Amino acid sequence: MTIGTARKRCLWLSAVAGLALGIAGSASAEEETLTFVWHAGTCADAIVKIAERYPDKNVKIVPALVPYGPEWHGKIASEFAIKGDGFDFAMWDSQSTAEFAGAGHAYSINKIFEDSDSLDASLFPRASLARYGEYPDNSGEFWGLPVNQDAYGFMYRKDLFEDPKEQAAFKEKYGYDLAVPQTYQQARDIAEFFTRPDQDLYGWGQMGGREYDFATTASNSFLWSYGGELYNPETFEVDGYLNSPASVDGVQAYVDMFEYGPPGSQNWGWDEVNAAWQQGKLAMAMQWYYFHGSNADPDVHPFAEVTGYANLPGAVGRDGKFRRQFSVGGQGMGINVYSEKVPTLVKFMEWYFQPEQQKEYAAVCQTGLKSVLESADWQNLNSYNKHFAKALDYTNDYWHLPEYAILLDELQDEVSNAITGKKTVQQALDDAAKRHERTLRRAGYEIKRGDTKPEVPDQVITPVGKDEVEVLTVN
Amino acid sequence: MPRDDLSGARTIGAAANDPIKRALHFLPIVLLLLYSFYNMGPIFWLMISSIKDRQDLFTFPPTLIFEPTWAGYQAVFGVGEGAGAASAIGLVDALINSVVISISGTVIAVILGTLAGYACSRFAFPGRNDFLFFVLSTRMLPPVAVLVFYHMMFSEVGLADTRIGLILIATFINVGLATWIMKGFFDGVSTDIERIAINCGYSRFYAFRRLVIPQVLGGIAATSGFCFIFAWNEFAFASIISTTQAKTLPVKIASAMGATGIEWTQICAAGTVLIVPVVILFYFLRHYLLMGMTFGVLGRAR
Amino acid sequence: MTGRRRFELSDRAIIWLFLVPCLVLLIGMVGYPFVSLIILSFYRFSILRSDAGREYIGLENYDFLLGDPELWERFIFTGQFVIISVACQFLIGIFVAYYLQKNFRGRDIIFTALMMPMMVCPIVVGFLWRYMFNSEWGVVNYLATLFGSDKIDWLGITDNALVAVVIADTWMWTPFIILLATAAFRGIPKVIYEAADIDGASAFYRFTRITLPLAAPILFIALLLRMIDSFKQYDLFFAMTGGGPGSTTQTVSFTLGKIAFSYFYTGEASALAVILLLIIIGLSLVLVRYLNLLSTKARG
Repeated sequence: MTIGTARKRCLWLSAVAGLALGIAGSASAEEETLTFVWHAGTCADAIVKIAERYPDKNVKIVPALVPYGPEWHGKIASEFAIKGDGFDFAMWDSQSTAEFAGAGHAYSINKIFEDSDSLDASLFPRASLARYGEYPDNSGEFWGLPVNQDAYGFMYRKDLFEDPKEQAAFKEKYGYDLAVPQTYQQARDIAEFFTRPDQDLYGWGQMGGREYDFATTASNSFLWSYGGELYNPETFEVDGYLNSPASVDGVQAYVDMFEYGPPGSQNWGWDEVNAAWQQGKLAMAMQWYYFHGSNADPDVHPFAEVTGYANLPGAVGRDGKFRRQFSVGGQGMGINVYSEKVPTLVKFMEWYFQPEQQKEYAAVCQTGLKSVLESADWQNLNSYNKHFAKALDYTNDYWHLPEYAILLDELQDEVSNAITGKKTVQQALDDAAKRHERTLRRAGYEIKRGDTKPEVPDQVITPVGKDEVEVLTVN
Repeated sequence: MPRDDLSGARTIGAAANDPIKRALHFLPIVLLLLYSFYNMGPIFWLMISSIKDRQDLFTFPPTLIFEPTWAGYQAVFGVGEGAGAASAIGLVDALINSVVISISGTVIAVILGTLAGYACSRFAFPGRNDFLFFVLSTRMLPPVAVLVFYHMMFSEVGLADTRIGLILIATFINVGLATWIMKGFFDGVSTDIERIAINCGYSRFYAFRRLVIPQVLGGIAATSGFCFIFAWNEFAFASIISTTQAKTLPVKIASAMGATGIEWTQICAAGTVLIVPVVILFYFLRHYLLMGMTFGVLGRAR
Repeated sequence: MTGRRRFELSDRAIIWLFLVPCLVLLIGMVGYPFVSLIILSFYRFSILRSDAGREYIGLENYDFLLGDPELWERFIFTGQFVIISVACQFLIGIFVAYYLQKNFRGRDIIFTALMMPMMVCPIVVGFLWRYMFNSEWGVVNYLATLFGSDKIDWLGITDNALVAVVIADTWMWTPFIILLATAAFRGIPKVIYEAADIDGASAFYRFTRITLPLAAPILFIALLLRMIDSFKQYDLFFAMTGGGPGSTTQTVSFTLGKIAFSYFYTGEASALAVILLLIIIGLSLVLVRYLNLLSTKARG
C-alpha cells in the first residue's frame, strides 16, 4: 500500500505542477509575434531563417506548421470560421483564395498596395498576382502575394536519353530522334521504350493518389493539353465540357500512362514518385518544381547528377491544334483579416519583399518578385530555374469558386475510378459532370444551358491552340 | 517462448506419441510465435526505419545492413543538423506541453472517473444506467464532426491554444472510459467494508477515502495507463485548438515534412521516441494492469 | 478519530458530490457542440461562410444524405471494417490472453512488449503501414515474394486495401483485448477450475464452459469500447488509402470529416453526425443491455 500511496502522491504532485506550468505557459512575453500557418518544408524554413535578420528585434516570426493536405486547409479554415486571430498570415493553396477571400476572411492586398510606400503591384508579374491572389478572376482584386510559385514540371534521366545506343534503338523503333518529349504522344512512345520491368526500370512516373489533389492536378494537365476544360465559367455548364470528347482524350491519355509506370503506382502521391525517382526506377516523371531542389541534390540520391529538367509536354488535340497546359501549384501569402497586428505585419512584408531578402529566399524557393525572377543570377542558379521562368505562361488552374473543395473531391473520386478501371474514362467524367452540376446548383448557381456541346471546349473558352507543335527550348 | 506455455496442453500432451497430437501440441506455440512476429515486426521496422536515410528506406529488397543515420533523432530533438529547420522550433515546448497535458488530463479524468464510478457502483440512484450510458456516449462521435464547435467555444472563453484547454480535452475524452472501468473495480470491493466502518462510527466519506480507495489503487493505476495512452496520442483536437503555444508532440510530428517530401526517417524517429514514456509507464503499472480488472466485474462472482 | 462524524455526509450528498464534477465537465464539454449539431442539421449553413447567414430547410439535409446511395455504401463498408477488424482482434486477443494468463518467467517483459502497438501514436501508425504496404518497396511485399507470391497491390485495390487496413487496425488494437482478456481470465478463482479437473473436464470444455462465460462481462466491455472506436476510425484510411480507389475505402467518419472540414457544409455535416450518432447509440444500447443481462447472470 505504501508504494501505491507514494505513487499516488507523485501523480498528485505532477498534476499540481502541471497545472502551475500550464498557467505559466499561457502568459507570453512582451515581444510581438507574427504567426504564420504553412506546411513544413524548405520554404517555411527559409522564411524563418531570413526573418531572423529582420531589423526590428521586437518582432518575431513564429511558424505554426501543419502537414501538407487537408489538415493544412482545415487549420486555416477553422481559424477563419471562428474569426479568430490564432495566426496573422498564412500561405494557402492558389485554389483556396476564392474560398477564403470570397467569405471575407482575407485582408485586401490592394489596400496594402495603396497604404504602403514600397509594396506595389508592379513588383510582381501580373500573371503571378492573378494565380496566387486574384478573386474573382480578372477583377483586379488581390488577396494574396505570390510567395511560393510552383508548377507541374518534368524530369528525365539524362544518362538514358543521351546514351547513343538507346538513341539508335529508339530511332529504329519509332522513326524519330529520342529527345525531351514535346507532346504526350511522344512521351507515350518514350515511356513505352524505357519500360523494362526486368531491369526494374519504368518509362513514366506520375501521381494517381486519391488524397487531396494528387490525381487531378496530373490528369488536368493532360485534359487541358488535349483541349478539354473543367467547366464553362460563363454559363457554369459542366456537362459538355468536363466530359467533352477532348477532355476524355486527355484523361484517357493520362490513365494510359500508368501502363508505363511501376505496378501499383496508381495510388502514388508526390513522395512515392520522388522515392521511385531516387531509386532510379523511372526514366521520366511529372513532378512539382517544388521538389526539384531535393531531386537535384547529390546528397539525397545517386541519380541527382543525371536528372534533367524540362517543362511538361503538350498534346496535339483532336482538332489538330497543339496545346501545352499544366497545373499551377504553390501558394500565395494571405493576411488574416481578424489579426490585430496588420500594421506590424505590413512593415515586415515591406522588408521581406525587398530584392535582397527575396534573392536569398529564391535560392531554395520560387519567389514571385519580378526583379529576382528576371535576373540572370537566379535563372542560372540551378538547372531548372530557367525552365520555371517559362513555365508560368503555360499554367492553368482549377475552378476559382468558393465551392472548389467539393468540386475537387468529386473529380478526385471519379478520376480515381477511371484510373483503377472501375469506370471507363467517359463514364467517370460523365458522372463527375453530373455531380459537379448538382453541387453548383445546390450552392445556388444558375446553370445556363447552351445549345451545343463543344467537341473541343478550349476553342470556346480561352483558346490557346497553336497550329504547330511548339518546341520549348532554353539556352 | 516460456516453457510453462505448454501446461495448458499438458493433458493432451500425455499421449504425445501420435504425430497428429504432437502437431496439435505445438500448434499454439507456432501461432503464438507468429503473433509475436506480427506484433513486434512493425515495431522493429519502425525503429530500424528511424535510422535509415532516404536512399536505404526505399530499396527493394529492404535492407537490414546499412549505415545508420541519426538525422531523424536530431530533427526530433532539434539538435545537430536538425537545429536550423523551422519544424525544430518549439519541440521542447511541445514535449513539455504533451507531458503536462496528458498527465494533468489523466489525473483529473481518473479522479472524476473514480468518484463517479464509486457513486454508480454503490448507490442504485434513479437514472444510474442513463448516467453511465451518457458518460460512454460522449466517446462515440468522431472528433472531426464537432471540432469547429469546440474551437469556437474555446476561443470564446479564451482557452484556444492554451494548455488548460487541451487538459480539458484530455480529461473529456477519457472520463467516460475511466468511469466505466472504475465502476468495475468498485463493484469488486465488498460493501461490508463501508458497513462495518459506519457501524464503528466513521463516516461513509471517511470509509471511501481511507478504506475503499486503498483497495482499488491498482485499478486506479490501470485506468491511468489507458487514459494516458489516449491523452498522450490525442491528435484531432490538438491539431485545431493549438496553434503555437500549446502544440503537442503528435501535432508537431505530423507536420514533419521537408523538401524531399514526407520525412519518413523523422516520423519513425519521433514515433519511437513517443512510445518510450508510455512503455516506461506500462512497465511500472504491469502488475496493477493485470490484477486490476480481476476485482472488477468478476469480483461479485467470487 | 471518532470526531470525524461531524463531517458526515448523507448518501444523497455523496451521490451528488461524486457525480456532479463528472457531469459538469461532460455537460460543459458536450452541451454547446451537441446542441449546435442538432440545431444546425436543419439548416443550410456553412460556418466558414457564416456571414452569408443560414437558411432553415427542415429535413432536407437528412433527406439528401439518406437518399444518396453512396452513403449507404459507406455504411456497408464501415460495417464490414468494424465487424472484420473487431472479430480478428477478439479471436487473436483471446487466444494470446489464454496463454499469457499463466505465470512464467519473463512474462512481465513479454506482456509489456506486446502492448507496444497500442502505444504508437496513431498518426505514425498510418505512415508506418502505408510505408510497409507499398507495392514496390514495402516490407510486406518482400515477405510475400519470399513465399513465392508476386508483388501485391495492397492499397490500390478496394478489397486488398480493406485487408491492409484491417491488418493495421488489428495490429494496433489486439493488445487492448489481450490486456483486458488476460485480466479477466486471471480473475477467475482457481477453485472453479479445480472442481472441473476433478470431474475430468477437457481443456476445451474448461475454456468454453468456464473461462469464457465468467470472463464475458469484461470481454463485452472491451467489445463495446472497440466497436465504438472502430466506428470512428478514419486516420488509418486517411493515411493508407486516402479513401480510394474512388471512394470505396471511405468510412462514414471519413466522409463526415470531409463534409465538415473540407467542404465546410456545416449543416449537412451536422445531419450526418446526428445519423451516425443515432446508429452508434442504437448499437451500443443493444450491447449494454446484453452486458447488463450477462453481469446479472454472472452475479446470480
